[in-house]
Parts: sequence; C-alpha cells; structure tokens
Amino acid sequence: MGEALAQLSEHAPQGNPLAGGTNLVVEMRVGRHQGKSMVDLGRLKELRGIQAQNGHIVIGGGTTVSELLKHPLIADHAVPLCQSAAVFANPLIRNRATVAGNLVDASPAADLAPPLLALGAEVELVSREHTRWVSLDEFMVGVRKTLIQPDELMRSIRWSKPPKRSAGAFYKVGLRKADAISVLSAAVMVACDTSGRCKLARIALGALAPRPLRAYEAEDVLQGQPLQAEGIAEAARLAAEAARPISDIRGTAEYRKRVTEVIVRRLLVQASEALEHP
Amino acid sequence: MAPAIRGRSSSRREEIRSCPLLCATAIVRPSPLKQRSDCAPLRRRRPIQVSLSLNGQLRILDCQPGETLLGALRRAGLWSVKHGCETGECGACAVLIDGALMPTCVLLAGQAAGRQVVTLECLAPGQSLHPLQQAFIEVGAIQCGYCSPAMILAAQALLAGNPRPSESDVREALSGVLCRCTGYKKPIEAVLRAAAALRGEPVPPIGGGGVPFEAVFGHGRDGGRTPADLAAPGGGPSGIRTRPIVAFPVTRMSPQPETDVVGHREPKVDAVKLAKGRAVFAGDVELPGMLHAALLTSPHAHARIRHIDASRARALPGVHAVLTHQDIPRVVYASGGQSFPNPPPYDQVSLDNKVRYAGDRVAVVAAETPEIAREALGLIDVGYEPLPAVFDPLQAMQPGAPRIHDEPDAVEILDANRNLVAQVHASVGDLERGLAESDRIFERRYYSQQVQQASIEPHVVITYWDEDDRLVVRTSTQVPFHVRRMLAPLLGLPVKRIRVIKPRIGGGFGGKQEMLIEDLCGHLTLATGRPVRFEYTREMEFTSARSRHPQWITYRAGVQADGTLNALEMCIVEDCGAYGTHGLTVCSVSGLRGLSTYRCPNMRLHADIVYTNKPVPGAFRGYGAPQALWALESLVDEVAAEMGFDPVEFRLRNAVRAGDPLALAKALGEGREGFEQIIQSCGLPDCAAQGAAAIGWDRRADPGWRRDPARPHLRRGLGMAVCMHGTAIAGLDMGAASIKMNDDGSFNLLVGATDLGTGSDTVLAQIAAETLGCLLADVVTYSSDTDLTPFDTGAYASSTTYISGGAVMKAAEQVREKIFARVALMLGVSGSAQQPSAAGMYLRNRSVWLPDGRSVSLEAVALHSLHTFDQEQIMATASHMSYHSPPPFAAQFAEVEVDTETGQVTVTRLVMAVDCGTAINPQTVEGQVEGGLVQALGYAVSEEMAYDQAGCLLTRRFGDYRVFQADEAPELQAILAPSYEPSGPFGAKAVAEIPMDGVAPAVANAVFDAVGVRLRSLPLTPEKVWLALKQAAVG
Repeated sequence: MGEALAQLSEHAPQGNPLAGGTNLVVEMRVGRHQGKSMVDLGRLKELRGIQAQNGHIVIGGGTTVSELLKHPLIADHAVPLCQSAAVFANPLIRNRATVAGNLVDASPAADLAPPLLALGAEVELVSREHTRWVSLDEFMVGVRKTLIQPDELMRSIRWSKPPKRSAGAFYKVGLRKADAISVLSAAVMVACDTSGRCKLARIALGALAPRPLRAYEAEDVLQGQPLQAEGIAEAARLAAEAARPISDIRGTAEYRKRVTEVIVRRLLVQASEALEHP
Repeated sequence: MAPAIRGRSSSRREEIRSCPLLCATAIVRPSPLKQRSDCAPLRRRRPIQVSLSLNGQLRILDCQPGETLLGALRRAGLWSVKHGCETGECGACAVLIDGALMPTCVLLAGQAAGRQVVTLECLAPGQSLHPLQQAFIEVGAIQCGYCSPAMILAAQALLAGNPRPSESDVREALSGVLCRCTGYKKPIEAVLRAAAALRGEPVPPIGGGGVPFEAVFGHGRDGGRTPADLAAPGGGPSGIRTRPIVAFPVTRMSPQPETDVVGHREPKVDAVKLAKGRAVFAGDVELPGMLHAALLTSPHAHARIRHIDASRARALPGVHAVLTHQDIPRVVYASGGQSFPNPPPYDQVSLDNKVRYAGDRVAVVAAETPEIAREALGLIDVGYEPLPAVFDPLQAMQPGAPRIHDEPDAVEILDANRNLVAQVHASVGDLERGLAESDRIFERRYYSQQVQQASIEPHVVITYWDEDDRLVVRTSTQVPFHVRRMLAPLLGLPVKRIRVIKPRIGGGFGGKQEMLIEDLCGHLTLATGRPVRFEYTREMEFTSARSRHPQWITYRAGVQADGTLNALEMCIVEDCGAYGTHGLTVCSVSGLRGLSTYRCPNMRLHADIVYTNKPVPGAFRGYGAPQALWALESLVDEVAAEMGFDPVEFRLRNAVRAGDPLALAKALGEGREGFEQIIQSCGLPDCAAQGAAAIGWDRRADPGWRRDPARPHLRRGLGMAVCMHGTAIAGLDMGAASIKMNDDGSFNLLVGATDLGTGSDTVLAQIAAETLGCLLADVVTYSSDTDLTPFDTGAYASSTTYISGGAVMKAAEQVREKIFARVALMLGVSGSAQQPSAAGMYLRNRSVWLPDGRSVSLEAVALHSLHTFDQEQIMATASHMSYHSPPPFAAQFAEVEVDTETGQVTVTRLVMAVDCGTAINPQTVEGQVEGGLVQALGYAVSEEMAYDQAGCLLTRRFGDYRVFQADEAPELQAILAPSYEPSGPFGAKAVAEIPMDGVAPAVANAVFDAVGVRLRSLPLTPEKVWLALKQAAVG
C-alpha cells in the first residue's frame, strides 16, 4: 500500500491506479491514458474487505461488485447497494470491477453511485502525506470529474448503519436487465420514527445529470411527514424536477424526467411498504 | 521499487506476491482513428514476463507491455479462450482466475501474475469428457461452439459453489457469456443435467423436446425469480420464464418410412471437439512468421482522400506492409457472396480514394504484432476533404443530394445521381381496380431498423502461400467457393492458385455471406510473402462489417367486408448504406415474402434501393423477410382488429395453402428472373393450432389474466404472426457431395456445404448414414475446402438441408447401388449386376441384406472391393439443384407484459410451431428455432444501430448494442409440426431463417393486445411505447 502511494506520488500526475481494469484497459486500448504509468492495486489486501466498525459499514475501495453481492453486511445494511450490484454489467465484470473504480471513473451513469448516495456514504482518500474523508456527494464533481488528486487512492467507503425502521431500494431502467449503461437509475433510503413519521429520507438519481445526484428538495418534503401517497407523489415530482437529463441514444430528456417520477414514486412506495411490513 | 512485471529477475515470484506492480510506461497505443499523430520518439518495448499458474502448472508468459491476458493465453496455445470483444461484455474470453470467472480481454496479462488461471483445456484430460461437456453435447447445447468453452467454465464455477442450482441460478451464472445461436435454453438444460449427474442422480433420456425444465429437474428453489426481479418495483425487464406448461407440444412424425438415423436426435458430429475447446476455428492457428493486420477506417461519413502518406508507418520497426489505394490495382467488384455473375451493382474496390461511410476502408497494415499494427495506423497521414453526407434514403433520392458514387468505373448503378442502386417492380392482376372494388382500404407505413448479426466470432482470416505458391485462405466464411472466385480478380491470381479453407465457424447469420476482408488479407500476403492474420475487433464488426437493411414499407390493402383480401400493394424504400452488396436481392426477397403469404388476386410491388453514407447492410438471417413480415403481419393484425375478425382466423382464411402458386415467384428471383412455384406442402393451420394451444391463446378473453393485482401498472397481452419463408434459391443454388467407402465399411463424406454452427454437417451425415444403412458415427464428414470438397454455393438462403442434403442423398444412393453390385459380384447373384437393387437388396445395420435373409457386412464389401477382386474404390459424387423453393411455414406467438408507466415491454414467452417438413434432426431444428427466436427478439425490442448527426455509429460495443443474455431471455417453446415435402430429402425443407420472421410483429401485436397502441417502428423501446401510450391518452 505504501509502495503504491509512493508510486503514485512519484509519477503524479502521470500515475494511474489500476484496479479491476474493466474500464481502464478498454480505454487504454483506444488510446487513452497514453504515457501514464499503471499502478496495479489488484493485490493490495488493505483495499479489500467489508466490515462493521463503530456504527459504520466500511468497505475497501478494491472490493469487487461480486463481493458486495455475497456479503451479509451488505444484504443487511445496504439493500439498495445490493440491488444495484445484482444488475451491474454482467457476472464476469462483477468479478473484476471494484467499488472505488466505479466511483472514481465518475460516469454520470455509475451504477453504484445512487445507492451509495442514498446510504449517505463517504469516501476515504489517501495519499503518501494525508488521509481525508469526503462525502460522496461532494466527491463527484461532474462528468468524469471528482475531487481525487493524482497522488491519491480511494482506500475505503463507509456509511452509517441505517437505523431501525429504515428501508431502501434501487431500480435501474434499461432496455435490458443488466445494461452496460442505464437509461436512468434511482435509489432511495427512508427511516421512520416510532410514530411512522419520516425522520430520514435520501433520494439519489443516476444518469440524469452530469453526475449522480441527490434530490434534496424531494427529500425535504418527506421529512417529518408520514410516508403516504400524497407526500410520496410530491417527492417523486420534485425528484423529477431535480433531474437534468440529456437526450441520447438511450432515451430523450423528456422520457427520462417523466420516468424518474414513476420510478422514485415506486421506490418510495416499496420502501414504505417494507417499513410497514418488515 | 520492485515491479513484478518487467524484465527477468531472479526473485520475480516473490515480488509478484508482495508488491504492487508498475507496468512499463508505454503500455498504451495511439488511437487507430488518430490521423496525424505527433511524431513522438518511437520506443521499442521490451517484452515483459508474467509468471502464473496456468492449468495447474507454473508458466512464464512472454508478453508485450499492455497486452491483454486474452492475447497472451492464445499465443500460449490455450485456444479455448476466444476473442469476441474488447470490453468484457461477450464473455467468450472468460477463464477462471483464482476460481472466479473473469473476462481476459479487459485484463492486462500482468494483472494475472501470481494468480491461478484455469482454462477449459484442463477440465477433462485427453479424450475424456467432463459431465458438463457430456451434457452440452447430449442436449444439443452446442451450436457454433464459439462461446461453449466460456459457458462450460461459467457452469463449472457455478457448480463448484452450488451443486444444486435452480434454473435462475444457472441463467444468472451464464449471463456473462453471450450466445447468439442457442437462445440459452439448451445450455441451461445442459447445466441442470450435468449438475444432476454430478450429484449422482439419474438423468432423463434425451428427447423431451419442449418439456419444461421443472418437469425434468424440479422447481428452482427460489420459485424462478431472481433477486433483481423481486427488487424491481415495476417488475423488471428481466426474469425467469420457465414454469409448468399446461399444453404439451405434440410432435407428430411425418408420413415417411421408418428411419434409423434421420428424424432422430443425434448429437452433432462436431460437438466433442467444440465441447473440449479444441483449436478448430479459423483464428486458432499460429503459423511461423505470421504477421498481424490492422485496418485504418474512415472517421468521416463522406470524404475524398486528397493525400495519403504511409511513409512514417512503413518506417515503424516491425511493420512489413502498409497498403493504400495507391498500392493495389483498382478492380471493381460486389462483395456479396453470391453466384456468378454477382447481382449488380459493382461499386466497390478494395481500397479507394474516397470514403463513403464512417468505418469505410482507408489503409491496411501488416506488422509483427497486433500492437505494432495498431500503432502504425496512427502514423498514416491522411488528408481528407470532407463532403456533404446523407443518411436518410428519402433525402438521398432528392435532387441536389450528395452523390455518393461519382466514380466513373462503377458498373450497373441504376441512377447514381439520385443515389438509386436499383428499383424493383412486380405486379399481378390490377391493383388499382382491386383497391377500387374493395370494401375497406387500409394504408399503413412501417419501419424496421438496422441491426447487426453479431456472431460472437468476429470475421477472421489467415492467408499464406503454400509450398506450390498457391494462396491459402483460411477464413470464417459461409461461402468458401464464392470467396475463391471473387478473390481471384482482386488479387490478380487465377482461381486455380487459390485454396479456401473453411474450418469451424463461430456463427455467421449472413454476416459471413460476404467476401469482407479476405481481399485485404490476401493483398498483405502478396505484399509481404508472409502469413497474415486479419481479425476484426468487435467495434469494427459494428462499424465496418454488414448488418440488416433498414426498410420503410408502406402497404395498401383492399379487403372485402367478409374478410377476403382483394388487393395488396407494397412500397419499399430500402436503406442500402454506402455500397450495393445484397441490396437488390434482399429487397427482392422482401417483396416476394411480403406478397406471398396471403392469397390475393391484385398485387403490386415497388421498391427503391438507395445509397446512404452509412455502414453497409448485407445478408442477415431472414434476408429481407423479417422486414417484410414485420410490416405484413402488423398490417394483417390491424386489419383483423379493425374489422372485428379473430387474428388467427383472419390469417388462415387468407393464407396460401398446398396447391397454390406463388404469384410473384417468377418475377422476383435472385437479381434475375425466378421460377414458377407451386406450394406442395403446407402445415400452417396445424402450426397455428398447436402454437395457439401452447401459448394459451384463449387467455385473451380473460380480463383477469391481463392484470396483476400486485403490479397495477402492468398489462398482459398475446400476439401472433404467421410466417412463410423459402428453401434455397430456386434454379440457382447448387450443392455437391462426395462419398467414398473405407476398408472398415465407414464412409468419408466430403461436402462443400458450409456448417457455420447450424449443425448442417450432422444433418448431411444423417442423410448419408440413413441411405447407407450405417451409424452416424460411420460417416466421417468434412466441410469445406475448395481443394478437397466439391462445389457448393454456400450456407445461405436456408438451402443446406434441402440442396446439399439432396446432393448427399444422390451420392449415397449411387454408392448404395455400387455396394449392391459388389454384393451381387461377391455372392454370384445372377443377372443382378446391371440392376442390383432390383434383386431386393437393402442396407441396414452396417450390412447388405438379401431377400433370402443372407447378409454381407459393409466391411466385407469394402475389403472385397478394395483388395480382393476386380478392385475398385466404391465412391460417388453427385450434385443437386432444384427449381422448387418449397416454403416452410410457422406460427409465432408472444406473451408480453407492458409497464404502462414506463413503456417497458417484457416478453415473457415465445412459442413457435414450425412446419419445416421432416426434421432430419429434431434437436438441431429446435436449436435453430430457439436461437432464432431470441435473436429475433433482440430485433423486436432492443437491438438498433444508432448514429450521431455526423453518421458515426454510437453503438460500437455489446454494452450499447443490446444482445439478450441468458438471464433475460424469455421462456421458449419450439414445436415441430411437420408436413412432408416431396421435393426434399426425406421430406425436408428449411428451418434456419424462418424463426427470424414473425417475432417482431407478434410482440408488437401482443403490445397492442395488452395496451391498445400500435407501434409501427422497431425496436419497441420503452420510450416509444411510453410515447404511444401518452399520445393515446391525449388523443
């Protein structure tokens, strides 16, 4: 690990961490990353592992998508992440692709970003000199842009264990189940107090803006309210408002916006039903 | 620092285990599309060494920096690891790394250092078979076999952790390996069967075609839904579709004599080598001194090449040849693999000074490694003068549109000023009068999009000079004999100096009915004297290979109040892309198919075939029929619905039947006049009845079935289409076969026919074995090699069983007569030598039987003829052609769920009942049907080649071009409803293409049934359905 950081530091900005390689090797083949040094992280045990620590779930940046799918802590404490992992690319890619790789790649359609945003995740960036934690929401800046510096690695990702009486869900709209790139995706996480009022709501959207984003205004209307049809419909409407999609071969902006509303509504209904019938 | 991947060092292995690695800096390559790369100092790279455990043995692989594990493993002789793409999305290159299935095309070789890598080669030693391999062979899970190694490894990884998988577990496990042949049904069945065998449980006998998995293997433990499904708030687009089926298919045997081999589910004759992943495909050889080709393609949709300078590329060490239009003779040709003379126009040259689509050929390089070849592309200086481009055929026909073919030497373009490749006209009766006399007139316009064959094996060819200075072309082709003839003038060699070898083919679907890259590879061998390998990348398969012609079809139909069809007009505008290949003949077939299914006294066809600056469509399974039947079967459904008729009854009332002529068959031949056709066998009503029973057609009347209380936004529907195809091109296709007898009474069968994964070698061997009274295993089949096997037009037009099979049957009958004559000689049966079969002899169980009960074994016959007396080689060669093109018939049914809020269409079941005459091998017929259904489903709902405004293809990888995966494919059911075709061998007609024809309209009709909106543009994407629903709600 120390050596990898040293290599990155030494070669910055020409060093490039290489994890699963499912994006990077493809890009290299078509001529990107010319002149850069690839620092293979594949063998760094420090980057692997899924643990519960001090009320957090912490996963190593080099955790593969397959490992997410298999781990009971993810199934128990990160339902949307688990659901997202299940439709991530294909099983072969899942065996290679890593969580940090998906986040650092910073595609607007990065599959793991919406569920991790909904979980309120933070990412740990380390360099030879320092360690810093950044919220995932801040970390993602734009299309293929993040806060990571050339000498930094994403060592881990963590989020608070969702409280009791919480529920979450993820859904991806594609022409098929596990597309390389989604038309849109959304994840929600809600928690209620004993009286059934929403005390936490996070709604995250993928492929609907230059970067995966939180629909804060939609979340706000749910706060303190019972999770009922009217509030859910309003939140879904506001989530669609927050979306700033483009038109491309996967769908027009108009379609994406309207379907966002449908999907967010269904996810919130699904979550509220899960809360009622745990 | 202690990098693990670099030059040799004594403690390398320790370093691998302990340290991160730093690859050499220059492991990346310039972009192939970059035209003027800066003149960077050229660094020659040292090979690196990667130490790993390979199939249990420690190996050190010499690799190029930046080389993928895929390339390194194949160079190391692990040929079971296949190249299908470069993005990890097809899975053909998968191996087990530390027990997990991983794609090696997105793995640098260095990343495997210190790992345990397992390939299919070590699954079962020597000639033995692992139970998975055994099961894949037995159930017919192997068609072309190109993805089989990866599928079997995926299954192996699954079973290692889960010995009792459910069907959905298997679907999930196989979902990373794309298969374009099987529709996944039989591979899934094979894995379940192998799992049972490995658990020590008895496995059922082979032959339960159409029996649902649960009936055999019990229910999946999760009830057949995946976690993703359960998670999906809308009921995802995915899911597991198999559940108990009430109506069992009834497979009726045709009225034919009892047979021993024909009509039986024999395993494919090439299945063992494919299951074992042996080096059988065109690219699976390494020749001494072999060079690697790379193609520079145009970034512009339309441009003139003002100057081109390859000197820097030629100067790159390791580069042996760079060819541009300045370097090779200009010979016009048409690239479609068709009979002589190829249908016009002749509008191509191997390399031109003009490019006509983004992806068009510019220059080709041969170098010592693929990496150097790709690097050299970036060093070719090309000065393009971009020209205005046109992408819409309707605009392309307008005055003032850019003229795509302005070269003076093109031959037989109908009107290059209007970009008109050709027009087709045909008519019968009096259309206008027919329309005027009809009670109702319907006019509808339908669009079908550009889709890609997407065989998992890309185009690959190896050319080399043999010891007699003849050019050997080892190529993945459907048309070896056409390739030989068409190559000759381009290379300036006589036909006799060219030998084309077709080994196993990893799928073609028409994409390889094209002389696509053999000419350039041949030119590189001519230029260098060296063997050259030229293999397309997946991206080039999309940008620079062939596809299906998009068509806009406008129908006008005149119908009487009683539902009788009285007039039918079909107007086609076909987008032919930048070159004319296949454009005319595909469109002719569209016209023929679009105006043949139904009886109608007054019909007219008008078709415009138009150039655009787009990648070139060509032959694709169905060849014009899917476009026509998409429109026709949508139209007929609309007419029936609007006039209040049952869609099945309405179709059957108007459909052709045995004894009917095909009105337009003579007018619409293969680029020339055709031949009159009378239908001699027709099982269409039976297909419709059996298919309707199987899908549960009567549920249409059940409102309860249409809704799902748990998912109120869903609506269910059923739709159907009937299909009629052709069998071979009448009066044009010809196949030939040679059979010779060996000492042990076995036979060599040499056929020019081209098995591209369909199982035609097996079917032809079955015909021979049946006729010769021997076992299938006694027939050693070889196809095809222009030096060794007799001529065959090739694998297209659903012709092989019928035409090549006819040739095999004739040759076998001649051999049989010679065997009888020999037996007459051996036994002194008097007076029978001239007419031996009249003596009542017959062949069965490897023996010749006489009426008096005596028999002589085939081995004794062979030894007598070869060694004993009046010695002769018992052998015969025969060829066959036919003026008939007997139509196979089918009824296809689709069950769909439509999400009314997102427009998502989920096809939950597909049923196809087919009359292909006698099914020579019911298992391979089912395979054709199941695979075709899923391929056609992609065309119906998800596959589309999309472009940006500059005409550059956007769908350049499998992630964007959506081929169905195992976990997405619906439940499939193939039902054989055979008739007996008197003109075919053992009553057979075709089955290969007809599965493509009716799926799209059946799905669209089911969507209409579910939600009441008509979609007239393919594919039926969620957004189109959503828009239509929105408009319907407003309007």
